[in-house]
Amino acid sequence: MASPALSFRLLNAHLQGPGDGRFHLKPVVGLLVALLAACGTRANQSAGSLVAVDDAGDTVRLAQPASRVVSLSPATTELVFAIGAGDRLVGRTRWCDFPEAARAVADVGDGIPPNIESVLARRPDLVLLYRSPQNSDAAERFRAAGAAVLQLDFDHLEDVSRIARLLGPLVGHPAQGDSLATAFDAELARLRLPSDDRGAPTVLLLAWDQPPMAIGAGSFQSEILTLAGGRNVFADITTPSATVSIEAIAARDPSLILVSDSGIPGFARRPEWNVIRAVRERRFVHLATPAFGRPSPRAPALVRELRSLLAERRP
Amino acid sequence: MTAARWPWLLGLTLVALAAGLSLGATRIAPGAVWAGLSDPAAGAAPIIRELRLPRVLLGFLVGGSLAVSGAVLQALVRNPLADPYVLGLSGGATLGAVIAISAGLTSPWAVPFAAFAGAMATLLLVYRLSLVAGRRLDSHVLLLAGVVVSAFTMALVTAILMLVDATRLQNSFRWMLGGLWSASWITVRMFAVYGIVPLGVLLLNGRSLDLLALGEEQARHLGSDPERVKRVAYLATGFLTAVAVATSGAIGFVGLLVPHAIRRIWGPLHTALLPSVFLAGGGFLVLADALARSIAPPVELPVGVVTALVGVPLFAILLKRRLA
Amino acid sequence: MILTGEGLVVRYPGVAAPALAGVRASLNQGELVSVVGPNGSGKTTLLRALLGTTPLAQGRVELEGRPLAEWRPRELARVLGVVTQREEILFPLTVQETVELGRYAHLGAMGSPGETDRLAVAEALRRADVTPLAGRRTDTLSGGEWQRVRIARALAQNPRALLLDEPTAALDIRHEMEVFELVRRLAEEGIGTLLVTHHLNLAARYADRLLLLDHGVVVAERPPAEVLRPEVVSAVFEWRVAVTSWCDGAPQIVPLKPGE
Repeated sequence: MASPALSFRLLNAHLQGPGDGRFHLKPVVGLLVALLAACGTRANQSAGSLVAVDDAGDTVRLAQPASRVVSLSPATTELVFAIGAGDRLVGRTRWCDFPEAARAVADVGDGIPPNIESVLARRPDLVLLYRSPQNSDAAERFRAAGAAVLQLDFDHLEDVSRIARLLGPLVGHPAQGDSLATAFDAELARLRLPSDDRGAPTVLLLAWDQPPMAIGAGSFQSEILTLAGGRNVFADITTPSATVSIEAIAARDPSLILVSDSGIPGFARRPEWNVIRAVRERRFVHLATPAFGRPSPRAPALVRELRSLLAERRP
Repeated sequence: MTAARWPWLLGLTLVALAAGLSLGATRIAPGAVWAGLSDPAAGAAPIIRELRLPRVLLGFLVGGSLAVSGAVLQALVRNPLADPYVLGLSGGATLGAVIAISAGLTSPWAVPFAAFAGAMATLLLVYRLSLVAGRRLDSHVLLLAGVVVSAFTMALVTAILMLVDATRLQNSFRWMLGGLWSASWITVRMFAVYGIVPLGVLLLNGRSLDLLALGEEQARHLGSDPERVKRVAYLATGFLTAVAVATSGAIGFVGLLVPHAIRRIWGPLHTALLPSVFLAGGGFLVLADALARSIAPPVELPVGVVTALVGVPLFAILLKRRLA
Repeated sequence: MILTGEGLVVRYPGVAAPALAGVRASLNQGELVSVVGPNGSGKTTLLRALLGTTPLAQGRVELEGRPLAEWRPRELARVLGVVTQREEILFPLTVQETVELGRYAHLGAMGSPGETDRLAVAEALRRADVTPLAGRRTDTLSGGEWQRVRIARALAQNPRALLLDEPTAALDIRHEMEVFELVRRLAEEGIGTLLVTHHLNLAARYADRLLLLDHGVVVAERPPAEVLRPEVVSAVFEWRVAVTSWCDGAPQIVPLKPGE
């Protein structure tokens, strides 16, 4: 059966239309096909038994939807609330700050690695972990204590709809999971621009300045930038981030630098950074929302915001 | 008969400087390098003058200073495994830097000075701890105090970063890995001003260090005042290492391996050893940094990784030759 | 008198009995004095007290009439040469370089070696009979050669007196004899030598005076023939001995087996 990712691409291709708001039959058929395809995959709902396979390849079985969920990453916390299952959340990490209602959920500490005791103290029946080598031991411990564990690779925009569909049935909101996924994919598809926009500005996504670290094409931030009409000046870096030399930045001469804090960033006062034209000319774009820090359903809004910011700065 | 050293060392220095200016994220041909140096309007000039030249100079000064500090400390604590970080300074420098970064201080002087202050504070703390019975600097206690204070400051750093956000945690540890990315005319000037005096002091005390290396009792019987020499050596290397770590983090292997390599080739007498390790350490770090910048552009490897990967096999070759 | 120590008392922390309990020792130019005694009698402590390495609880030491405390380290090194029991080599030098370090007392930290220094080093190498070893690294020398090199280094200081702590421990007959011969020659050349040794018989044949210590107290300080009497030696060393005489008149100790 087609994977959700493939469904996304199918859907994408079908909806690559004029985006003019009129009703088209082809996209609807495509939508139905994709929905059917996705339904047939990972989360199967047969009477009384929920089965899912997580990103570590482990199978999770629940007799009924989970009612005590601990989410150990801000992205999954946000997603759980977004599909309407926020009331089933009994634990979140200290970094989970969205939506506002998340703050009322009990704080169990860090997500990587998690505090086993505080998580188990919440008596979860489902734990959502970010998949990383540091968490595999924690996953074992949670399973041994009787909780179902989902280890998730939540790194790209496409993971938002995929995981929404995966989680929906497990937390008793299959319909919302699906509709969020569908709406998300549709919005992103609408936002997608033709791929060779030669007028697209080159942008440096700077994660850190000491040492200089750039965000590469392997990250969702870069995906958001591309959707917003920018070109990542370090698109050849396939990892999510990497240390680069100031000289490399200067040589690639980005026309804009994306920073998260407001005002003139600290590094702009340092002489060696001023070899970069964009620093000298103070060509900074400020995107100060924490939503930029994780793949989330708010991504389409971010893309729109970034798009207008970039358009403002076009020479 | 071993080869004359100065032509070799000066040759190495020139090759390193040339490589450092020419290699990097983009290769700049020697002709263009020269044009960039001499003519401010040349195309490559901003990169050469504002980025590579200060970086190469800082690399040379830092590498040379770490090598000199390592050589002196090996004599001071009479232990061939000593390196500049046994003084426990890198933890203090990291603490200072992390505090400055976390506090969001933006002045270009802020982080280097904070790191320097942190390093000097730990230096004095270790010195105080080592003053057994209030007067004598005991080398064994010095080593132990350095290790203990280092662990303490690193624990403090980790605790502070745990309370700040997760990305800062990871990124601030990268600061500690060490690198020359903060090189600018500001940091070069800072090093020149603060590093010249301790470097000079150490270079002039070569013979006293020869005696100290024999053991404190022997040194005294031969007419030296080992307490004074130890104090001067300790404070000067501490100061010098503090400046190096404040500008470039804790770059490893240079201070440990370069002195041994030079001793194996040309012998351990400090009057000639110290200037030799300065040139060799400086050249080595500049070459390692050039490699770190140009191996996988645009990504820059941490220079401490390159010094280890390149330095250790080189040293193994040297060891083998000596025993053959 | 070059070096004198009066009423020397040394206590080690935590030990009830003093290591030295009021010792008087002296060394004159041109004489060879040997400090002997059983283990723990205070021989090394006496040497360290005379050098100022170990602090005195009581007593005073004078060198050439001036209290030791008034001497600055470099001044002291120009008069006194010292060879301690052991020396670990951290970074090996050549013999030449090692002996040259002995000129520190005259050159200081930054002086450049001149003709006087080169001559002094050559002379020191010659007197200690290690000139052929000049180019060798010190970690390739035998025990005896290393001892002689260290003596050469002390001689490079141009001292008027030498203090040696068990210079022949762990040396074989030939090397031991070479060291004693050397030291005797130096005494005849005018250098006063104080030598701590446990080798009674050689001390008896070479020394002008013996200083016999027991539990931190001087038992006798006289020429060997007067000190090494069977009843004295048996009491101090807690073992029955017989004393014979060698053809040069020196007493020779023969420890007796239990039945003899």
